[in-house]
Amino acid sequence: MDSSILLALIQDGIVSGAIYALLALALVLVFAVTRTILIPVGEVVSFAALTYANLDNGKPPAVLILLLGLGVAAFLRGAIFSRGRALIQLGVETLIVPGTIAFAATLLAPLQLGVAMNAVIAIAVVAPLCPLLYRLAFAPLAEASVLVLLIAAVGTHLAISGLGLLVFGPEGARGVPFSDAVVQLGPIIFPGQAICVLAATLCVMGGLWAFFRFTLAGAALRATAINRRGARLVGIPTENAGLQAFWLAGLIAAGSGVLIAPLTTVYYDGGFLIGLKGFVAAIVGGLASYPAAALAAILVGIVESFSSFWASAFKEVIVFAGIIPVLLWRSLRHVSVEDEE
Amino acid sequence: MLSRSRITLIAATFVAGFGASLAHADTIKVGITLSATGPAASLGIPERNSVPLFPKKIGNADVQYIVLDDGSDTGRAVANTRKLIDEDNVDLIIGSTVTPASLQMIPVVVEKKVPMIAAAASGAIIAPMDENKRWVFKVPQNDGLMADAITAHMAKAGIKTVGFIGFNDAYGDGWLAEFTRSATAKGITITTAEKYGRADTTVTGQILKIMATKPQAVLVAGSGTPAALPAKTLKERGYTGTMYQTHGVANAEFLKVGGKDVEGTYLPSGPFLVADQLPDSNPIKAVALDYTKQYEVVYGPGTVSTFGAHGMDTARLFGAAAPVALTHGKPGTPEFRAALRDALEGLRGLVVDHGVVNMSPTDHNGFDERARVMVQIVNGAWKLQP
Amino acid sequence: MKPAIWLALVAATLVLPWLPGLPLFWVSLACQIGISAIIAVGLVVLTGVAGMTSFAQASLMGISAYTTALITTKLGISPWLGLPAAMAVTLVVAFAIGSITLRLSGHYLALGTIAWSVSLYYLYANLDLVGRNDGLTGIPPLSLFGQKLIDIRFSAQIIGLSLIGGMIASLHLLDSRWGRAMRSLRGGAVAAASVGVDLGRARMLAFVFAALMAALAGWLFAHMQRVVNPTSFGLVAGIQYLLMAVMGGAAHLPGALLGATAVVLVNNSLQDWLPFLFGAGVSAETIVFGVALVLILQAAPAGLWPVIAPRLSRSHRVAETALTVQTMPKLGAVALRASGLQRRFGGLVAVADLSFTLYQGELLGLIGPNGAGKSTSFNLLSGADHPDAGRVELAGQDVTGCTPQMMARRGLARSFQHARLVPSLSVIENVALGAHLRGHASPLSAILRRDRDEEAHIYAEAARQLARCGLADLADHNATSLALGQQRIVEIARALAAGPSVLLLDEPAAGLRHGEKQSLAALLRQLRDEGMAILLVEHDMEFVMSLADNLVVMDFGTVIATGKPSDVRRNPAVIEAYLGGVA
Repeated sequence: MDSSILLALIQDGIVSGAIYALLALALVLVFAVTRTILIPVGEVVSFAALTYANLDNGKPPAVLILLLGLGVAAFLRGAIFSRGRALIQLGVETLIVPGTIAFAATLLAPLQLGVAMNAVIAIAVVAPLCPLLYRLAFAPLAEASVLVLLIAAVGTHLAISGLGLLVFGPEGARGVPFSDAVVQLGPIIFPGQAICVLAATLCVMGGLWAFFRFTLAGAALRATAINRRGARLVGIPTENAGLQAFWLAGLIAAGSGVLIAPLTTVYYDGGFLIGLKGFVAAIVGGLASYPAAALAAILVGIVESFSSFWASAFKEVIVFAGIIPVLLWRSLRHVSVEDEE
Repeated sequence: MLSRSRITLIAATFVAGFGASLAHADTIKVGITLSATGPAASLGIPERNSVPLFPKKIGNADVQYIVLDDGSDTGRAVANTRKLIDEDNVDLIIGSTVTPASLQMIPVVVEKKVPMIAAAASGAIIAPMDENKRWVFKVPQNDGLMADAITAHMAKAGIKTVGFIGFNDAYGDGWLAEFTRSATAKGITITTAEKYGRADTTVTGQILKIMATKPQAVLVAGSGTPAALPAKTLKERGYTGTMYQTHGVANAEFLKVGGKDVEGTYLPSGPFLVADQLPDSNPIKAVALDYTKQYEVVYGPGTVSTFGAHGMDTARLFGAAAPVALTHGKPGTPEFRAALRDALEGLRGLVVDHGVVNMSPTDHNGFDERARVMVQIVNGAWKLQP
Repeated sequence: MKPAIWLALVAATLVLPWLPGLPLFWVSLACQIGISAIIAVGLVVLTGVAGMTSFAQASLMGISAYTTALITTKLGISPWLGLPAAMAVTLVVAFAIGSITLRLSGHYLALGTIAWSVSLYYLYANLDLVGRNDGLTGIPPLSLFGQKLIDIRFSAQIIGLSLIGGMIASLHLLDSRWGRAMRSLRGGAVAAASVGVDLGRARMLAFVFAALMAALAGWLFAHMQRVVNPTSFGLVAGIQYLLMAVMGGAAHLPGALLGATAVVLVNNSLQDWLPFLFGAGVSAETIVFGVALVLILQAAPAGLWPVIAPRLSRSHRVAETALTVQTMPKLGAVALRASGLQRRFGGLVAVADLSFTLYQGELLGLIGPNGAGKSTSFNLLSGADHPDAGRVELAGQDVTGCTPQMMARRGLARSFQHARLVPSLSVIENVALGAHLRGHASPLSAILRRDRDEEAHIYAEAARQLARCGLADLADHNATSLALGQQRIVEIARALAAGPSVLLLDEPAAGLRHGEKQSLAALLRQLRDEGMAILLVEHDMEFVMSLADNLVVMDFGTVIATGKPSDVRRNPAVIEAYLGGVA
């Protein structure tokens, strides 16, 4: 292996790792606030990527049906329990917001306003799926055990990926790159898209950091994540915290989808494995610390890249078996016997 | 309506046990399990879409098709097979789309003595022929036949070294084995054999490894759009050698996703893919164009694919063999099924969408060289190579 | 359950498949359900009871299926011998995987099993030995007296018997000392450790047992399908089995069967109904299945079984005699000695210097104002935490740095300030958990029911201690349904069931009514008179002053006074500490 290969592998690993890192952030966020391991995050990535790629044809995105359908379902489900202002808020969030987005997307898509607009449309129509899923599947289970929430996430994943096959069909699609520019740094070539991925990842991380650090909503979310009951005692509406976490996760995942769309071919069910690796990173990072999760994600990306060079048939074996020692090390650091639920 | 009321059927079976078969003695029932969802959906959906074009009547007998989806999952494929045989009392099983599922279905059809026509690719389904595989037939061309086409093409082009990258599943495995055999025979060296996953987002590592071995050509063994990723990465990394793909990519989406990255790529395929470019003297042309026309009337222009044609071919085998079998027994009886199996094995010179079938007791695929052509991707379209 | 019921089930299993007119397809559905249910039974023990989530059951099933497939096809050995071989190989592999992975806690463990599952899948798919992606074919069916049991009705009989066997084994195992230990892993591990339960062994036991269930299923699967390839043993399959267990009710053994039945039947009937609703060209099975799963969980978060069946209290045979009374060390011998204990948390010195001696037959009170370091001291003495400096001796032996389990083995028992009872055990079972170290039955003898006499004695002992503590009436209540004060008394009974010579009690009187305090005081006096050494950390001054022989008073992590209650009461430093604390 010469140095150019070495650098190319590292670069490849970092780009994949950046995507895993974004998903890890989304997963950590959702888990910390709602204790849900959001397996359907992979579908959100796929749907956003496919939507972005398909916007080339100038037709309104097919996923709008899903958005409106889930909106109506969430409204009907919530309307049983809500009255007065809560009902109005529910109506706004499940009917008016998706409806407006759908209307705008239908108007804008045929105009072909360029990749930036397409990216915005793709994120806008796919990200709201996440909070709608929260309302439909997870909010009613807020008090259930982590295991039940996990299986509910599996159920959601099955249903959503099945819908994805209906909406997008079985074949993959690839999006137009944001930029065809190529930056040469010494011996390594950075395609423009890779730079976009890295820049966007850094922006999202910085944005999240600032959000949690400097905004009241961020602080409330953090408080809920640390201690749900305590947060409720000091008057933070924790139900909304779950919704916010899912909104953020939806935005991050949809953004990731748009970022990878030009890099690779994406399939309706392709997000599962990407999400799984984000999950690996999230856990290795401890399901609590954002920087650790991000770092772990980059590590996963690099290990994956090198193992696909050395022993591609055993790539997944190396990546997954490789995390076991890391997990051991992490769990040995706090050996105390704890009561777990 | 492909699937009919099972409520009545369950009731009938419950009340009258096996009486159901007697009540429908003049109907041939065909059970179909295909992968309309899951990883192989891009193959299974066009196969399933062909079912409405299957013959509704054979001789005086009605034909009833019962279609189930196995989700590319082995367990469900086996359960479907049992369901079709035990509950629907079918005389023939068609499916599945994927090799592992088809392999697991074999013991069931052997146990029940029901013939089966697989729509999956691997030669392992029908070879080596033994007591069990007597009941199993297969429509897609053997990987070996296709691999020979590629190595022949390579030899003619003076290619001596090839890098291989294939799916990390039964399809990639089967191809690697067949290609290795065929290449060795022709004195072609495989510089390295790499694997990747259908849903992988990057194959940079594998491609760098392949390029480090400096092969004159690269063969990508994947199916559908996922096979475009290695090609794209090769182009990105500045690879200039010849690129080959397998017949697994032969659908329109691959061309769309692959775009300029797959321009100039060679692949072996059933003649169906380029039916309109075949000389009129080729008997396959008329058959293939007829199916294309029928399919596109239902599903729209440009939707037909070679996978759907495999689906259609299962029905063509059945349609040719069933009249013979009908003379030996009534549908729903063991005699009829055994006769159907014998008739399938006895098919000679049958022209189907993908070639000309000559079955024999040792070959339950029955294709020869007429079932494959070399194709090049030129200007985003398939072009028949002489 | 009574043997008669099991016999009826066995008879039904043998007869039902051959019922004339029974559609064969139903039999094959039953086979599918049975194999899944066997795995789900293992998951009930592992996940529902012991609280460890595993996605790797399908992979373990694969190890067994491949083992039996290999030795029957390559070596031509009888499929019946494949079972012990497959079980043995799975046992070894599960033990190896377990010893690496089970140290992981919570989500780490779940991810660890995902990692194994993915890794093993790709190993199967890339190893020539097991036929790579195409797998192994031509596996012989089971045969009996030279007759090949190919007919699915034979399979149904064998699978049914295996399921019944697995259920019985699980029931027996759960109703034993190791069963209580495994149940304690879910929400009561700290308490179990304090009475000497080897938690690591309990975890391994649950894991290996579940793996053996998967192995049984894998063996059945291999000889029924007669073809195996990796697709049956991947992560998706692993998730499917977990889903069955959770849907049925992961904490209940019948839930395993119910969950497997529900999933298989729903999947099957969706295939029949959906084409009518959506048309034949649409594959909506997974969508509807996913939605149904979520809705079921929302309606019944604990799974289906608790919805349809009432919670049955487990009955236990109680022997005439309790366990033999442990001989107490000599009266006046040194029971527990602390010298110069120190514990820091970062910059905070919680315990600066603690020294005292507790003798057999003495009731020593450890008191002090809030934040004096009592709780930290208590943890240092019981092995829950370890001192930065100083030494703890138990009956003359240095036990500094020993785990709670080791302390328990040396005769120390404790209660907790916040009662820690195992939620899934009844009151008497919680107390019986205390006698864990006094029983000796192995998990295997529990499965074979060779532990019945010992168990009866353990329950007699538990009943005796409960009666002593005045809670005999509540024996079969759910432990966590008791008032908090009563829960603390149950803890004392549990500690006593361990037969300790040294008893550490953390605020036992909190939340008790006056009369209850009186009886508690009487009990403690009686125990002291029997020669037990008792250390009492208490807030209730009146209670402790009237009860203790001697007092140790702490403030700011150091001992500020020791002596008889009457002397301590007049000690100016103590008055200062308490009044100062109040002011």
